[in-house]
Amino acid sequence: MLRNKISRVGVLPARGNGAGLFLPLFIAVCFLALMPTARLLLESVIPDGHFTFGILQDVLNDSSTWKALGHTVFVGCCATVLATILGSSMGLLVGLTDIRFRKALTFCFMMPMMIPPQITALSWIQLFGPASVLLNTLGIAPAPGTPHPMYSPAGIILLLGIQQAPLIFLSLKAGLSAMPREMVEAARVSGAGNSRVLRDIVVPLMTPSLTAGMALAFVSCIGNFGIPAMLGIPARYTVLTTLIYQRLADFGPEVISEAASLSVLISLLAVFGIMLQTYMLKRKDYRLVGTPSEILKYRLGGYRLPAEICSWIVIVLVLVIPLCALFFSSLIPTFGVPLNAKTLTFSNYITVLFKHDATVRAFINSFSLAGGAALILCAVAVPLGYFLVWQKNSLLRFLSPLIELPYALPGVVLAIGCILLFLKPVFGVSIYGTIWIILMAYLARFLTMGMRPVVGGFSQTDRVLEEAARMCGAGFMRRMRDIVVPLILPAAATGGLFIFLAAFNELTVSVLLWSSGSETLGVVIFNLDDSGNSVLASSVSILVIVAILILMVILSMLGKKAPKGSIPWQC
Amino acid sequence: MRKIFSFIVLVLLAVSSAAYADNKIVVYTSQLEQDAHQTVEAFKKANPGIEVEWTRSGTTSLMNKLRAEFAAGNPRPDVILIADMVTMESLKKQGRLLPYKEAPVKGYDENLYDKDGCYFSTKVISTGIVYNNKAPFVPESIKDLERPEAKNLVIMPSPLYSGAAAIHMHTLVQNPDLGWDVYKKLASNGAVTSKGNGGSYKAVASGEKLYGFVIDYLPIRNMAKGAPVNFIIPKEGASAVTEPVAILSTSKNPEGAKKFVDFMLSEQGQNLASSQGFMPAMNGISAPAGFPDKIKLMPLDTSEALRKDRKYKREFSEIFGG
Repeated sequence: MLRNKISRVGVLPARGNGAGLFLPLFIAVCFLALMPTARLLLESVIPDGHFTFGILQDVLNDSSTWKALGHTVFVGCCATVLATILGSSMGLLVGLTDIRFRKALTFCFMMPMMIPPQITALSWIQLFGPASVLLNTLGIAPAPGTPHPMYSPAGIILLLGIQQAPLIFLSLKAGLSAMPREMVEAARVSGAGNSRVLRDIVVPLMTPSLTAGMALAFVSCIGNFGIPAMLGIPARYTVLTTLIYQRLADFGPEVISEAASLSVLISLLAVFGIMLQTYMLKRKDYRLVGTPSEILKYRLGGYRLPAEICSWIVIVLVLVIPLCALFFSSLIPTFGVPLNAKTLTFSNYITVLFKHDATVRAFINSFSLAGGAALILCAVAVPLGYFLVWQKNSLLRFLSPLIELPYALPGVVLAIGCILLFLKPVFGVSIYGTIWIILMAYLARFLTMGMRPVVGGFSQTDRVLEEAARMCGAGFMRRMRDIVVPLILPAAATGGLFIFLAAFNELTVSVLLWSSGSETLGVVIFNLDDSGNSVLASSVSILVIVAILILMVILSMLGKKAPKGSIPWQC
Repeated sequence: MRKIFSFIVLVLLAVSSAAYADNKIVVYTSQLEQDAHQTVEAFKKANPGIEVEWTRSGTTSLMNKLRAEFAAGNPRPDVILIADMVTMESLKKQGRLLPYKEAPVKGYDENLYDKDGCYFSTKVISTGIVYNNKAPFVPESIKDLERPEAKNLVIMPSPLYSGAAAIHMHTLVQNPDLGWDVYKKLASNGAVTSKGNGGSYKAVASGEKLYGFVIDYLPIRNMAKGAPVNFIIPKEGASAVTEPVAILSTSKNPEGAKKFVDFMLSEQGQNLASSQGFMPAMNGISAPAGFPDKIKLMPLDTSEALRKDRKYKREFSEIFGG
């Protein structure tokens, strides 16, 4: 009796609608997403066992807090806009037109996610600085001592925008491949031109995917530390993450509480961004009927060549130049030696592969962590998205802004939360100091990356097919297997790919959680770089990128058999 | 579903129980990657039967990890080997260190270890000036970096990140001839900070900047590989960190931890440090090639540094932004 009431108000699914799956899933997600954050927030108001708002007040009375908050909002918004412009124009070009070399373009445009941000930042600094090989060759290098154009808010926005653009690009592409063709055809038959179709049909229909990508990009920007640290600190331009880092450098017991209080601000910003997105989606109904169709191919005609040239220029800027910088510095014996026939050496590769046993271990660790996190989170995201969007479950609705938090918090803060949480055995199991704590942290951090594309997919797809199956008496699991999963697979695969790429190189969380034997690739690269061995760090980064390429090729081969749209770069 | 769940719990149990060997010590160190690895391997060879689990990071990041562990009430390491004595002094004041009075300190100057036996220096790492061979002039003093020819060309590691940089800051500020005045002049001359020493060194080696404060062994090691840089000890003197080793009072294996301290202070351990390219702390062990014979050090009052640490770091980040 009570049960029926509960399911009627939408707190729990009804029997035969996945009720058995819902509760364990809900509890697991609560634990993952909320516990580390909650434990940390406790630390900000109960620093040593008694409740106080004192630290929070101190933080809020500090003028540098507000300055950093303003900078964070400004940089976050501008970078999101830039990423949206870049990502969506590339996405529309590749997804809707007859531009050539689509696969290669998609592939290349995804790659910037793979290069560690500190490397991208470094290569851009090198590119425009007095030491620039390129500018020196052209004879237009700035004299040593001229202030660097990258050390500025504009530099931070540019690099953050470039780094987040692939997220938007891939979200949009997943949306486009799920768009049925009938609507566009109908519009064209009624005499609408290309721009009209784009404005009245494609863009409105893409809103869920696009806003999902934008929200994710905004949240990543405000939580990013590497880029504002490298480019902002020299310019004395502080954002919240770099402020937290300044506070953490203090001695004294209240440090963690102060950092936690500052993280509350970042969390609030993130939640605000997500609320905005939810509000934007509320106003219209985006559901579509039908299965993904052929990709549309607008004829660009005379504009095709210029569009292609522009796209490749973008690729050269965001991918080729940083990659070249990385590759060249992996071939010299030490930083600062010019690369020529005499100095060229492959000894760095030999060192990291055969003499430095942490590298190989880190490859195995990172691969297992990234693969494990991607698989587990995809498997969780599909039913969660189903309960959230199609069943409009009210418990999950309340929870959904909260799962953004572990992703929006700076990695160092999440890691401290995990240390506080897992240091003492939980349920009699102690995972601290093992690789499992890193996996836990990754699951918490990247859950939202898996959820966003899936939620976008569900809100774009009409439930008609699943309801029809239900009429015919198909059980919950059967409907999941035959209807829901095939419909949502492209979105879920995109999410899985995001997670894999983000986790494969992840640094800020694992740097506080690793110990000998559980190194991740990010940690190895950071340790080498931090130890002044940048050439070795570069060669590990190149190996990482090669490994990713090999993986993608294998995926492409497998992808020929997979359902349409499950490999994001296959058009 | 239930089967899967219980299987996962079983796997977790198996993994966690396997992680505890009998005679194991946990070391947290701020040494460089390859040095930490070599030190641990050499220790294991000298003390067969002791397992070592280790983690490295910058001193600050390591301290954050440790502080979180203190807050959660179960610090993991037995031994810490970090950059500087000021950090050690603060841990000692909080009662976190185990006194080890019987440590073999013969051959060490008295100012290199704690009189209560809480921490012991293992090396002498000085911070001087690195300059690129393209630099317009060869610096002799710290004040040379205020010259207009060095405008926007100076980089230094941040005391918020690096233990060595924090000591360098305290040493400079405590010196009546230098003080905050030098930092303010450097800042108005366009000097910037990188995170760690590695970043500072890299900027100078690549010619992005031409002068930098940096710890001695980075340029000295890389000059041997042909890097276009040079290293000097300024005429005011250098600051130095001494990479002290200590045992935590919460150590689960104090006997094993003492063996590690013994090894670090032994002639064998000191020779290892020298072969890795560090100035050893023990008298009578020869310094590695490429080091100046006698490094002039500026004086430093550690307890004063500890008292002012927070204030100075905030002041520094106001001047330099981080």
